[in-house]
Amino acid sequence: MVRPRLRVIGGVCTGLAQHTGWSVSLIRTLMLASAAAGGAGFVFYAWLWVTTPSGDGTLAGIPKSASEVLQRPSGNEEDALKGPGVRRLPLTEILLGLALLVIGLALVARQLGVEVPLSLIIPLVVICAGVGLAWRQFDGIRRASHSSGSSALVRILGAVVLVALGILLFFVMGDRPNVWTVIVAALSVLLGVAVVVAPWLARLNRDLSEERAARARDLERAEIAAHLHDSVLQTLALIQQKSDAQSDIARIARAQERELRDWLFGEADVTPDRDLAEQVRAAAAEIEADFPARFDLVVIGTPPTAGFEVFGAAAREAMLNAARHAGGTISVFLECGAGSWELSVVDRGPGFTLEEVPDDRHGVRESIVARMERAGGDARVSRGPGGVGTEVRVRLPLVASESTGEK
Amino acid sequence: MIDPQDDQLNPVAAAASEISVVIVDDHSIFRTGLRAELAPSLRVLGEAANVDEAIAVVTSTQPRVVLLDVHLPGGRGGGGAEVIQRAAAACPGTLFLALSVSDAADDVVRVIRAGARGYITKSSSGGEVSEAVNRVSEGDAVFSPRLAGFVLDAFGAVAGETAQTTDELDRLSAREQEVMRLIARGYSYKEAAAELFISVKTVETHVSAVLRKLQFSSRHELTAWALDRKLL
Repeated sequence: MVRPRLRVIGGVCTGLAQHTGWSVSLIRTLMLASAAAGGAGFVFYAWLWVTTPSGDGTLAGIPKSASEVLQRPSGNEEDALKGPGVRRLPLTEILLGLALLVIGLALVARQLGVEVPLSLIIPLVVICAGVGLAWRQFDGIRRASHSSGSSALVRILGAVVLVALGILLFFVMGDRPNVWTVIVAALSVLLGVAVVVAPWLARLNRDLSEERAARARDLERAEIAAHLHDSVLQTLALIQQKSDAQSDIARIARAQERELRDWLFGEADVTPDRDLAEQVRAAAAEIEADFPARFDLVVIGTPPTAGFEVFGAAAREAMLNAARHAGGTISVFLECGAGSWELSVVDRGPGFTLEEVPDDRHGVRESIVARMERAGGDARVSRGPGGVGTEVRVRLPLVASESTGEK
Repeated sequence: MIDPQDDQLNPVAAAASEISVVIVDDHSIFRTGLRAELAPSLRVLGEAANVDEAIAVVTSTQPRVVLLDVHLPGGRGGGGAEVIQRAAAACPGTLFLALSVSDAADDVVRVIRAGARGYITKSSSGGEVSEAVNRVSEGDAVFSPRLAGFVLDAFGAVAGETAQTTDELDRLSAREQEVMRLIARGYSYKEAAAELFISVKTVETHVSAVLRKLQFSSRHELTAWALDRKLL
């Protein structure tokens, strides 16, 4: 049972109605009737309010993702959590005010000579304050589980002690203490503590079962990953092995393998700023989807995480060029040293050199060579190894990239 | 551990026109597929699907080359590396070539340090696997571009570390770095030889030297994984 976000007081009646399937007005009438008859309704209502979670399917206080926590300004968590249509009474403040009012009135009455049973009122007020404080803490815990630190625990303990003290006082300050009052006092203390602690225990229990469920999910996922790695990945490798690198089947198998790998071993949260190696890898995946080519990518050194826009664009252009004109297996080698970045793209296609390219074709000359020269680096197009295919080498010295790069 | 020098002592197997092979992989579909794709000059003596089976088959058939999957069930959980460690003593003429579907460096280093003569990925074509088997049977090491890239990284070549003497195990010589860079760029041994104006045999010597360093180096990047898996 949960209490809905849209509520009149605590959302208990609506929640109960949804839970039982009865109409809301019927529940409300019953609640009011039982409240009028000795206050049982009040107690029941309060009990449900404290123990049931509020919210829309999930528990209210638990942020759904890390990003949500980050997005939420830490100052006004309550406002952020309330959302539209939620109304909360400042219950604690009202109780506190009432308590002070009662004490004040009692003192005034006593001054005026009226016999006021102070021994009854003070413990009652203390109990009320303790319970109010405890409720507030539990509410806080339920809303934002991540903020429940040791200070919250200390305050809860304080509240519990207060309740116990109040109940004890109630009996000690009574007229003639005897065995029975002591027994009743002890039982009352236990009962009071139980009432205060119960919602907290319920909360703990709920957390525990949720955690257990999450762990079970993780375990299941790991098992699926292991199974897929053993079966599907092997089959995809076999398909690639048995089919020509240029064929559609090999291409599809490769794309599937990459997707599956990303899903199995990739990190769940994708960082917005990729490093150079990831960018080149992504470009390879993209180009492989459009052309019958297979990129064999080798990266050494530490790829930079910023400032590689020009280099990355030239790299992509070189890879695209190789895929378009040669296809087949294309070796891409990226070395990110301390002094320079170097990329080589080797294909086994028909091959070409810059001199053979007609002047009206701007692909290589403009987007690779000229671009790199503007950025302070250089690019070379030559015959591939053994005179077969083409090799494009792109180089960018790092000092130059810092002073003149990024145009 | 198989020393490269042993191969010269066993010229009969290397010179034979047919190379005997055992395929070890826990997926029958992959074994069947690979078997069909291998060159006719390779004779498959047997197949095995787990560590214990592999050790039994390899020791009983004594093949020249074992195509060994890195990830294998059974045994003491050591996978392909365990097969090499336990079977190598019983079959001195056998060489191991690691096959892996994963590119994880520690997996590959594990089998290489156990004594494998090279490593190729499972998506390599039948022709590529056959060529690698030929190369291994002749006593040479097989380096995929990825393994070459990893070696350059692990031995600090990117940062400019270069061995000064030939017997230094923890760094690569300038020539070895050049060869590794070319292999990482997708060059074959022949193409690398032409590029550097040296013979193919010299390239093979360099690659074997690098393999030896990979197996025996105490460089911390390499030993970290080995220690992690209690290989040392």
